[in-house]
Amino acid sequence: MDFLADVGLGFSVALTPINLLFCFLGSLVGTLVGVLPGLGPVGAVAFLLSLTFKMEPASAVIMLAGIYYGAMYGGSTTSILVNIPGETASVVTCLDGYRMARQGRAGAALGIAAFGSFIAGTVGVIGLMFLAPLLGRAALRFGPPEFFALTLTGLTLVAYLTQGSIIKALIMATLGLLAGTVGMDPISGQERFTYGTLTLRDGFGLVPVAMGLFGIAEVLENLAHIGSHSVYEAKIKGLWPNAKDWKDSARPIARGSLLGFFLGILPGPGPVIASFVSYAMEKRLSPYPEKFGTGVIEGVAGPEAANNAATASSFIPLLSLGIPTSAIMALFMGALVIHGIQPGPLFIAKYPELFWGFIVSMYVGNAMLLVLNLPLIGMWVRVLKTPYGILCPLILLFCLIGVYSLNANVVEITIMIAFGIGGFLMRRAGFEGAPFILALVLGPIMETSLRQSLLISRGNFSIFVTRPICAVLIAVTAAFLIWPVIRPKKKPGG
Amino acid sequence: MRSNVAVAAVLLALGGYIFVEANRLPFGTFHVPQTAFFPKTLAILLLILSGTLLARAFVGSEAWIPSEKIAPAGWIRIGVTLAMLAVFALVLERVGFLLATFLLMIILLRAIEARDWRKVIAVALATALISYGLFAWLLGVPLPAGVLGI
Repeated sequence: MDFLADVGLGFSVALTPINLLFCFLGSLVGTLVGVLPGLGPVGAVAFLLSLTFKMEPASAVIMLAGIYYGAMYGGSTTSILVNIPGETASVVTCLDGYRMARQGRAGAALGIAAFGSFIAGTVGVIGLMFLAPLLGRAALRFGPPEFFALTLTGLTLVAYLTQGSIIKALIMATLGLLAGTVGMDPISGQERFTYGTLTLRDGFGLVPVAMGLFGIAEVLENLAHIGSHSVYEAKIKGLWPNAKDWKDSARPIARGSLLGFFLGILPGPGPVIASFVSYAMEKRLSPYPEKFGTGVIEGVAGPEAANNAATASSFIPLLSLGIPTSAIMALFMGALVIHGIQPGPLFIAKYPELFWGFIVSMYVGNAMLLVLNLPLIGMWVRVLKTPYGILCPLILLFCLIGVYSLNANVVEITIMIAFGIGGFLMRRAGFEGAPFILALVLGPIMETSLRQSLLISRGNFSIFVTRPICAVLIAVTAAFLIWPVIRPKKKPGG
Repeated sequence: MRSNVAVAAVLLALGGYIFVEANRLPFGTFHVPQTAFFPKTLAILLLILSGTLLARAFVGSEAWIPSEKIAPAGWIRIGVTLAMLAVFALVLERVGFLLATFLLMIILLRAIEARDWRKVIAVALATALISYGLFAWLLGVPLPAGVLGI
């Protein structure tokens, strides 16, 4: 009965008018940034983070989560109608979704994407509801060595799963950890690398860095190649998929939901990977794999379900262990910490109304998106036609306002610009921003737990391999680091 | 390949610099690690990783995927945009949000996609007013009023 009481508590928080409003706003803004190719959910959450100061913590988290899953819905619209992914988790949706649109089945593609997302989102939330408290209780027994090992495993996995060069991803993670050491030493309070600047005393702010790497850098990249894209013009009719569509999609949606849920828990860009793996799996299981890429509905249903389930489950490690596993989870952690709330094993016990309210709001938000988005598709199509010449200055202005509103500090604007330039150049050289931002947040946790572990063990490093959980995590990390070295070479340059 | 060498060289230099800087802070011992312990370890890690990148680049086993070439017009747009962001940061607190935003929008709108002046001024004015109304008044963000004193 405890469980029902918890869910009841969740409803009492999520269904207050103000939280419903924020849930709605979050989902709407999320869909918007998902639809627009120029700005991703990371940039949008970073921007709105600064506006959540004055809100209740529950409202803040509810709105920010809405942006995240809303973006997953919105991204598929752009993929299907324009053949440009609105955000990275919708890349594979382009393959069959756009083909379907060209065949006059845009409605069915959009419809199944929305329903698949809704079903998978619900599955993900239910899983989150059961798994997070369990994991949280288990984590109560974790000490500093376990936390150090967890952060290490998380970062290594993220580097491993990033597309492109592993060594470059590891370099980005190291640079992020180094950036995290700027400011006061978390144990002794001594200043490091601040060069006398007041702003840096608290370290690099998460928001200016994230806005630079994911907002400004993205805009600069787009400015380099302003091109025109054509929105699919034909009338979209029949958003309700027909019986055959449902029959073809049922299994892909079910498989995508489960797959996405488990992949989402792992560190890394869960939704992105989940969508790719789901597409590959559906293609392999299909009796007609050769038709994939020509507009089969399974190629839309599976990946869209997978990325939404992963969106929900990626909250599990953050809420139950206090370890963010992706750039966007790092920002959520920032949002909680701003309100003086430390996510971790004690989170659910200490803030039940926040946890359960948040969970229930995700149900509500998923339902809202389903009801709202299908009728609003016409509006999103019009939004897509906004010329980049207007969109880009607006995104830049939002970045500027977002960073300035944080502390009314112009120095932070400079930091954002610097990270924007750095991020743009690094991206051109094949380095990605996600490991950096995650490392920036994990850095202080990692340093503190490492130093505490050594204090406990009197400088003996064997503490990391003699404790069972810790040893397993370290072994996993080592395996991921050694595998690329010993793996038989496939092709030169691989 | 050459570009990877250049990137690795820059990273090596950075790692060296951080190592030297961290050297000024107390390292402590493994029993009682102090302030420099973590950054110095990371600096060494960075040196090892960028050394590996350099070595792999030399033997040609690190793939360099060339990014799309940016045309001169693209670089100009990027340059103007960055310059305007810096100018915005410099003048924001002196001239105030409304004026700074108005100027920023005019120049960005013109630089990114030249369009006729009347439209540019209308869009810039609307953006400045609406964003100020939304953020400063509705959401209570402390945006500097500046010379206009609103």
